[in-house]
Amino acid sequence: MRKRGIWLIAMLMVLSLVAAACADEEPETNGGDDPVAEEEVDFKACQVTDTGGVDDRSFNQTAYEGMQRAEEEFGIEIDVLESQSDADFEPNINTFLQADCDLIVTVGFLLGEATATAAEANPDQLFAIVDVDFADEDFNDVTYPNARELTFATDEAAFLAGVLASGMSESGVLGTFGGINIPPVTIFENGFEAGMNYWNAEAGAAVELLGWSSADQDGLFTGDFEDQDKGKQVAQQLLDEGADIIMPVAGPVGLGSAVAVREAGNASMIWVDTDGCESASDICDLLLTSVMKNMDNAVYDTIVAAMNDEFEGGLYVGTLENEGVGLAPYHDFDSVIPDALKETIEEVRAGIIDGSISVGG
Amino acid sequence: MKVELRGVTKRFPGVVANRDVNLTVSGGEVVALLGENGAGKSTLMNVLFGLYEATEGEIYIDDQKAEFSSPADAIAAGIGMVHQHFMLIPVFNVIENVMLGLEETKGMGRLDEDKASERLLSLSREHGLQVEPYAVIEDLPVGVQQRVEILKALYRNADCLILDEPTAVLTPDEIRDLIGVIQSLKDAGKAIIFISHKLKEVLEIADQIVVLRRGEVVGTTTPSETNEQELATMMVGRDVQLEVSKTPSEPGTAVLRVTDMHVRDDREVKVVNGVSFEVKAKEILAIAGVQGNGQTQLIEALTGLRKVESGNVTLGDEDVTGASPATLFKMDVAHIPEDRQADGMIGAFSIADNLVLNTYRERPFSKGILTDRSAIQRSATKLIEDFDIRTPSARSPASTLSGGNQQKMIVAREFTHAQRLLIASQPTRGLDVGSIQYIHARIVAQRDEGAGVLLVSSELDEIMALADRIAVMCAGEIVGVLDRADATREKVGRLMAGVRDEAPRPPSPPVAEGEGS
Amino acid sequence: MLVPTLALVAALFVGALVIIFTDPETLRAWASFTANPGRALSLSWDAASEAYIALFRGSFGSRYALSETLVNTTPLLLAGLSVGLAFRAGLFNIGGEGQILAGFIGSVMVGFSFDSLPAIIHVPFALLTGAVFGAAWGFIPGFLKAKTGAHEVISTIMLNFIMLNVVLWVLKTEFFLRIGRNDPISKSVNESAELPKIAGEGLRVHLGIMVALAVAWLMWWILFRTTIGFRFRSVGANPKAAAYAGMSVAGTYIFAMMMAGALTGLAGATQMLGIKKFLSPGFSGFGFDAIALALLGKSHPGGIVLASILFGALRAGALTMQASTSTPIDIIVVIQALIIAFVAAPTLVRAIFRVKLRRSERETEGVLAKTWGS
Repeated sequence: MRKRGIWLIAMLMVLSLVAAACADEEPETNGGDDPVAEEEVDFKACQVTDTGGVDDRSFNQTAYEGMQRAEEEFGIEIDVLESQSDADFEPNINTFLQADCDLIVTVGFLLGEATATAAEANPDQLFAIVDVDFADEDFNDVTYPNARELTFATDEAAFLAGVLASGMSESGVLGTFGGINIPPVTIFENGFEAGMNYWNAEAGAAVELLGWSSADQDGLFTGDFEDQDKGKQVAQQLLDEGADIIMPVAGPVGLGSAVAVREAGNASMIWVDTDGCESASDICDLLLTSVMKNMDNAVYDTIVAAMNDEFEGGLYVGTLENEGVGLAPYHDFDSVIPDALKETIEEVRAGIIDGSISVGG
Repeated sequence: MKVELRGVTKRFPGVVANRDVNLTVSGGEVVALLGENGAGKSTLMNVLFGLYEATEGEIYIDDQKAEFSSPADAIAAGIGMVHQHFMLIPVFNVIENVMLGLEETKGMGRLDEDKASERLLSLSREHGLQVEPYAVIEDLPVGVQQRVEILKALYRNADCLILDEPTAVLTPDEIRDLIGVIQSLKDAGKAIIFISHKLKEVLEIADQIVVLRRGEVVGTTTPSETNEQELATMMVGRDVQLEVSKTPSEPGTAVLRVTDMHVRDDREVKVVNGVSFEVKAKEILAIAGVQGNGQTQLIEALTGLRKVESGNVTLGDEDVTGASPATLFKMDVAHIPEDRQADGMIGAFSIADNLVLNTYRERPFSKGILTDRSAIQRSATKLIEDFDIRTPSARSPASTLSGGNQQKMIVAREFTHAQRLLIASQPTRGLDVGSIQYIHARIVAQRDEGAGVLLVSSELDEIMALADRIAVMCAGEIVGVLDRADATREKVGRLMAGVRDEAPRPPSPPVAEGEGS
Repeated sequence: MLVPTLALVAALFVGALVIIFTDPETLRAWASFTANPGRALSLSWDAASEAYIALFRGSFGSRYALSETLVNTTPLLLAGLSVGLAFRAGLFNIGGEGQILAGFIGSVMVGFSFDSLPAIIHVPFALLTGAVFGAAWGFIPGFLKAKTGAHEVISTIMLNFIMLNVVLWVLKTEFFLRIGRNDPISKSVNESAELPKIAGEGLRVHLGIMVALAVAWLMWWILFRTTIGFRFRSVGANPKAAAYAGMSVAGTYIFAMMMAGALTGLAGATQMLGIKKFLSPGFSGFGFDAIALALLGKSHPGGIVLASILFGALRAGALTMQASTSTPIDIIVVIQALIIAFVAAPTLVRAIFRVKLRRSERETEGVLAKTWGS
């Protein structure tokens, strides 16, 4: 018995050491029931993720960052439920319907049906859905006064990137590829190509794009949003065919492409969704710029609107004008990009905003 | 060296494998441990070799009490064991196998094979164990592999050698060589424990015979004081008839005719090379031969389990070359397969289910797609009684039966149907004397009822006891066919070793059994 | 029964440790264990017990919870039966995901294509089409194994990925896509093809659970009462002995894989017609769990029913657990994995609990270990 007691104490000691090693240095201030005497605002924002989970380095995570920003700034309460399969969407929304959420944020086209159904059945509950524009079966647009559809005209920002890349390319060949051929991916590529075409027309150049054709709506795809090896292979292929600026639209797959781009030496990349210099800082020196889709801003703004009783249902489109989309700063390339080109880009931005330039389809 | 087991008892949950066993073996002496399968011979030796711990009792080496908690301890104390299934790495060469675990090195972990080879060669000269140090194990005949096992033990300075059923896999010639080796080891002062269930060789080799039955020593004797019949009675615990009573055959018309058959094994090596023979009704044709000379594949090809590369098989007047097992079954061919556990039964299934393995689709065992459990059960109960299968219940899994009873179960299934041809492959391998006698009698009875019997066996005793004609197979060919009356053990033995008309003995082929199947 | 039950207990225990040591607050308490040991222990107890209580509440604590458990059980049960059936015939069907997707495609197609069929025809028609699609997808690895010896583990895994891409492809065709839309979501099944809810509108539990239970019984009957089942089991337990006894091993492989494919296809169909309603890209997420629960249920239909209820409960309860405690939902995956690890290592479980097994139990375990291992 005594022997066992010693063992028990030894185990407890070891465990406490392990815990000490694993625990964060400083206690977090946002722990659930920590009685932190912050200014309590009576507002609760709740997010249901799709199957990617809240740490997917993609839209679930970006949307959640908008939630966290609101939490930090206003001390609101936030909560998140992850879904293991699409059978979980409905119960997760139901859970939040019972949980006194002031706003329920859902993410992704997979949640479209479930969110629309819930919004219709619960007219007093506010909803916001990222990346979805509600429509009925006959493609008539549908809106609900209590649901805000957060969509993004990414093609506007990608158009700018297309202009920039065309102006910077020395080989006169651009490259792009996607993860899977779905609209949220191809909208980048459409805008990119339109920007290049604009440049060709305006500057009398003949820059080409590899990996995507807006006319065919088809191009180069790796098949998933995970395999970085494929990202490297595909980028190598594009480089071999002469491209010197590559825009991967495939999340972390693009990190693999960075390896090939770095090896090539004289090539660069354009990141998408977030500012790559922040989300993937170790490849910042390769990034001409990033095409940003500011989902976090949209979520944050929606929360602010709801807190101030200014919530409006219906479609929200993030544009260059409202800064829902945009180009990231040039960072390391700031000194490399000619001022004339920078000016052109600002002109195009203004043109898109005032409608004098169309980004295409 | 003197090794002593004093009062050793080994209990497994619910079973006593050895009860109060005393055994002494001294240097320069061969002690034979005789007993049926399951008598506890291997368990006892595993206790001595440190694989099991004795529940009670002690081991003394040269009158010093010894405690073995692993084979390493036993080896350190000078005990070596040659297992029935060799513990060799087939793709390594002889030296590598011998030095395994005791590798000689010359700094930086580099192997010093020369040093090992020197020692090996001196050992092999000393005891007449010729081996080629750099030959790869899988290319060597079984007899030579066994020599490597013995050398491995000697290399570890074994003074006491345990040989577990060493003759089971050898040709008569190889057995003769082995006896010479044992003699030389004995002269060199080694203590030898020789495990066997074969009466003849025990009488030939041993200085002392210890008979085990159900885990207990039932008698200790010497060859000069006893004879086969007495040993058999001690072993089994009742009088047994060693010879099958059998009238001369009156062969009828040919039932099975095999013409110029060629078959390849799993490795695409041709192992049956132009074999022709016929089996007549009411006769037993025995194919004799050392394991691994193509008999297995020949039988598989005949019974539809292996592709016939070329050649012709007819059953009566019908061509059945490449016919499926189901077709042959419908044509009244019964087959006792060589490896009963792997091929003949499903261990996890009940005895009742095993008894209908080939008839489950027939009435009364099923109607349409519905099986009739009670009909299967009834039939099983009857067969268990008729064939004296010792089991608590027809519902027990077949794997719980002893080897002999498993074989009786298979025989029961195969013999309950009308038969034109019975193919029996190694029907008594590993069985105890009682079961052997029972199965032999059944086979003779089938012959007397009119079936043609094709018997394949590597046991010379079995061939001599049952055959009406003997075809000897070696290296994939039939090297000779003898009438029983003309056949002597010596003649058959020579043919088995491939000696035709005093021609020089060809190297035995590699062993293909076991691994491939 | 004994080993799986003990494995569950052991897995819940280790799972509790994982909950304790992934909770930041508890972790901090342990860091200052020497200063305040009581707080570390009580926080640990709270973290684990609250999580498990929530887990239980979310799976069995209310009518809604029970309904959710059964909703999750339905596809798991059917897919688990498929794995179990194939296993009985000596085949390791890892192709559940692909066959489920095939079932999705078949059932959603029939589900949205006909709008004037009465439910009594439409529902069975859609279910059957899902099963047939699954069977067709199962036929391929069965055929490859029988004719070329290609190992079904490899071919079924590959076919999963092929089917994943087939789904992506059909979701680009006009026939599947919603009119005028090009996001990868198919038309929804018509109401007449939906599996009716069996506990009222508020609860999601649908007729699929009845279908699944009936199929479980049917599988038991086929396996243990028919000549087909006898052949399956013989080939599975010892293909050489089955061939020797005159059974067609190759034919059995093909037939068994088709039946297994049909069961998983049906799993997909019930999920589609009962819950999902439309086709979207990606794996269903329960095809791989099915392998685990078939192992847990020892490939016996009864065992699989129990195991799938357990897994269904874990999935349903996990949602409540993450909603009411800060425990991440992934802990359920950890617990499931631990259960399997313990089931696969019966010796370990026996050592932990110091129990000896009856002989018969040892027999089946030997067979299991051997076949699952190969």
